[in-house]
Amino acid sequence: MPHPLEELRDSALRDIAETQDEQALENLRVRYLGRSGSISAWGEQMKTLGKEERPVVGKLLHEARNAVTAALAQTSERLRAAKEAGALAGLDVSLPGTAYEAGALHPLTQMLDRAIQIFRRMGFALAEGPDLETEWHCFDALNTAPDHPARNEQDTFYLADGRLLRTHTSTVQIRTMETAAPPLRVIAPGAAYRRDEVDATHSAQFHQIEGLYVDEDVSVADLKGTLEFFLRELFGEDTAVRFRPHYFPFTEPSFEIDVKSKALKGGEQWIEVCGCGMVHPAVFEEVNRARSDLAFDPEKWTGFAFGLGMDRLALILFDIPDLRLFAQNDLRFLRQFA
Amino acid sequence: MKFSINWLREFVELPASIEQLAETLTIAGVEIEGIERRGADFERVVVAQIKESKQHPNADRLSVCQVDDGSGVSRQIVCGAKNYQVGDKVPLALPDAVLPHDLKIRASKLRGVESGGMLCSAKELGIAEDAAGLLILSPAAKVGAPIGTLFPADTIIEVEITPNRGDLLSYLGLAREIAGLTSRHIRAPEIAPAVHSVSAGVGISASRECPFYSARRISDVKVGQSPEWLRARLEASGLRSINSVVDITNYVMLELGQPLHAFDAEKVSGAINVRLAYAGEEFLALDGKTYSLRSEHLVVADQVRAVAIAGVMGGEDTGVKTATRHVLLESAYFLPASVRRTARELNLPSDSSYRFERGVDPAMTLRASARATQLIGELARGTAETRIGVAGKLPEEDVEIRLRSSRCQRYLGVSLDEPETTRVLEQFGLHKTRVEAGETWWRPPSYRTDLRREVDLIEEVIRAYGIEKIPARDRSRFTPMTAADRIYDREIALRRSLVARGIFEARTSALVPRAFKEEALPLKNPLSEDHVALRPTLIPGLLGVLERNLRLGATSTRVFELGRVFRAGDGKESRNLALVFSGRAQAEPHWRSGAEWQLDFFDVKGVLESLGRTVLSFRRTEKADFAFAAEILGEGKILGLAGQLSGAHTVVLGAHAPIVVAEIALEEILTDDANAAVFRGLERFPAVTRDIALIASESLAHERIVAVLREAKEPLLEGAKLFDLFDGKEAAGLGGGRKSLAYTLTYRDKNRTLTSEEVTVVHMRIRERLKAELPVELRE
Repeated sequence: MPHPLEELRDSALRDIAETQDEQALENLRVRYLGRSGSISAWGEQMKTLGKEERPVVGKLLHEARNAVTAALAQTSERLRAAKEAGALAGLDVSLPGTAYEAGALHPLTQMLDRAIQIFRRMGFALAEGPDLETEWHCFDALNTAPDHPARNEQDTFYLADGRLLRTHTSTVQIRTMETAAPPLRVIAPGAAYRRDEVDATHSAQFHQIEGLYVDEDVSVADLKGTLEFFLRELFGEDTAVRFRPHYFPFTEPSFEIDVKSKALKGGEQWIEVCGCGMVHPAVFEEVNRARSDLAFDPEKWTGFAFGLGMDRLALILFDIPDLRLFAQNDLRFLRQFA
Repeated sequence: MKFSINWLREFVELPASIEQLAETLTIAGVEIEGIERRGADFERVVVAQIKESKQHPNADRLSVCQVDDGSGVSRQIVCGAKNYQVGDKVPLALPDAVLPHDLKIRASKLRGVESGGMLCSAKELGIAEDAAGLLILSPAAKVGAPIGTLFPADTIIEVEITPNRGDLLSYLGLAREIAGLTSRHIRAPEIAPAVHSVSAGVGISASRECPFYSARRISDVKVGQSPEWLRARLEASGLRSINSVVDITNYVMLELGQPLHAFDAEKVSGAINVRLAYAGEEFLALDGKTYSLRSEHLVVADQVRAVAIAGVMGGEDTGVKTATRHVLLESAYFLPASVRRTARELNLPSDSSYRFERGVDPAMTLRASARATQLIGELARGTAETRIGVAGKLPEEDVEIRLRSSRCQRYLGVSLDEPETTRVLEQFGLHKTRVEAGETWWRPPSYRTDLRREVDLIEEVIRAYGIEKIPARDRSRFTPMTAADRIYDREIALRRSLVARGIFEARTSALVPRAFKEEALPLKNPLSEDHVALRPTLIPGLLGVLERNLRLGATSTRVFELGRVFRAGDGKESRNLALVFSGRAQAEPHWRSGAEWQLDFFDVKGVLESLGRTVLSFRRTEKADFAFAAEILGEGKILGLAGQLSGAHTVVLGAHAPIVVAEIALEEILTDDANAAVFRGLERFPAVTRDIALIASESLAHERIVAVLREAKEPLLEGAKLFDLFDGKEAAGLGGGRKSLAYTLTYRDKNRTLTSEEVTVVHMRIRERLKAELPVELRE
């Protein structure tokens, strides 16, 4: 025959198991384990028991307290979980997430940055120069004397004081060599200007990355290695790259570079992307003259230079049909490059 | 320059296909920009005559024609065109003919009627854009003749000739280049032998600008229309036919590269003198315009007046016309720089100046004259003087260029053996004069004025050798960071952080339009109204972006630009950042959105405050065009301006919400060292916060309250944050002209936990101080 304390315990556990709300559960806790609860009452009663009975009842009391306490905790957790589940049962997880819209870098900035990162991996540092330039930096120092047929003043914006807006970033070659000594290896991203009618492929202001590498024994092979690597990094491993002899007054030999890639729209055509060549000894000589030294002795140093049209590269890479979209800054356009 | 392949073929044997020729030239640096096929030389397309035309029984728009194709048997053709009459001669494509765009002709039934071929339009034959109807041929065309006899086939290639290669601006020159590249022989035209020269009749006063001049008199010419072949060749090369003598001078220029000019000898008074123009000398040129010359312009003059701007254009009065009886044929060598300057200053480029300024072959001057004399004799029946008048001396440069094989290898990165470079250079017409250890000496041909230095020869070598054979090499190098690198890194980080805040980057032109209101550095020679000056500020460009986007329906615009600006007076360049905000804070309504608000000054200010370590402050200022404006200050310097545009501008730009703008000079905030962050330790003891609410006049600035708190110099006071602000309009009980501000003050000791009592003591002191220092009322 069970001890009354065991009966009391079993009845408490039954009550707890049947409880469906938290308030009823709290009432049960008070009823059994509260200060004047029926299980707690046995603690008082212990004092009245005989010496033999006391340890037996004490053990039963301990077990009953533990069992009821555990059941209360377990049921409390069951009720809490059920309540929480009930509250979130109807939550529609398909609702749109909270908006955290970022803006976007202009596609030209993205294009420039991609190109800059590639050249930096190859060990090029950045250089810069002003947009407003002297005729000497823009033409004369670049082996383009006033009566040179390649000197196209028609296409150049001038200021009243004789300065001009640089027509190419090649001015930074001169700016760099005026102050630094070889070996040097720089790229110069920047704006250039052309007095040209604006249309889908021409704008008065455009962007270039100029490159210059001067060192001992720099050769056409190095020029090829550098620009082929750059163009394949940019357009993909399967890009075909073609160097075509060309003419620029400040490089000799000079080349234009064409690329062809299936990944590009119109990819079966050669697309011209770059002008480049070996720095003309006359450029080194003019720089030396300006510096009054022989820092760029053409017998000792050779170098290559290149100019990449970034607007054009961005048109090709992002498959944009019209250059004017860059200047319009339509948010619907910009958002596509987020 | 445009070249006719049929004509070019007379000078050199060409590769099997035009594409192959184009490839050969292009990879050697002579770029073919276009290939255009002319004529209509199709097999099985013949001249046919329409004998009868009837309405098609089953189709309103079609006719059924009976045509004579020369076979003797009448042929039935169904035709959709209406522009012919019975008896007209038209092109007929017979079955199995293949027309452009791979159109194959077959005998077929059209709506139940047999058709034995197709009558063609000019467009279908690829000889014109006109698709309106059948190509009606000359009544003289022979029925049954292949169409190619009427429209002989030719291909026109357009060649981009770089400014250094003036020698390629002729058929002979291009043929020479092709011969060199393909190891073939050149077939130069036969030219009459040289004649005796005399110094009578011509003189040179400006011998620097005109080293050599020749004139030959050809009498009793019959000037008329040029024969068809000559006209066709000029037109194929893009020149217009004028009359036989003028055409011959142009023909020889195209053929040999030497510009020539023919004068009407009876209009020339006395001997020719080549001289500099008199300042202000007026000259009526062949284009019908009068030019006012300067004293550095070279002219060809007779004893009375200038008869030509030397090397640029002849005079209207002395030009050869149909009535001309005697001709004076000029062939000269003018200084390239002089011709270029003159043509440029007069803005008068011509086919002649184009060639002279790029350098013509001095060895061709008299040969070209002889060639033209011969053709004028043949085609205009002129009789040439047996002697030619000459003055001056043709330039003879004794150029000898050294080529070191070591240098060649250094430039190209490959080692080429000496016989290989010799073969290449000899093919391009260079002559080896000397051989020494490791070097050879070369004399370029007279027409290659671009070959003067060792690198020029190296370029010839690589052009012919093929750059594709040079292996690519990797020459990366350790490179220290530069100042420009640091600027770039900070700029791109700044751009990215603005983008992360939901702002879009715009890039607008540094060139601003005529309508631009601020003072700006003007261009001397603008091309359009849109680009007349250099921007001193980025704001107008961004307002243009806002206006455009508003027009396109944008409800929320937040844009920034980071770019160069140019100071109005001297054009000093610096970098600015500008922001333009207008519209809703969120682009689109969202189900989670709380209260919607319009973007305002504090949105722009918050962005600026979050940018860098430089602490910015804002000070009210007066500025035209602004509803209110504030100077942006950093460490006491004015860095920029922020504010809200006046309502008038808002209306003009089409905005329905305030437009707020800010512009700030970047040099100051970007020079902060980005790596300056240093760990300061973490707070180990908890902070205690107490709030203070105070009521003040509307005019009391938040900044003053913060200053009083700061000046209290309470060591335990860590900071104060404004968390609530309302004014009399929002809470009636406050009374007009007053506002309520509530701050949370944070107290902390870095070495121990503060007790409530300690904080209360400090807090009470601060409250007292606020009351004493400021006209405020503290709320309990």
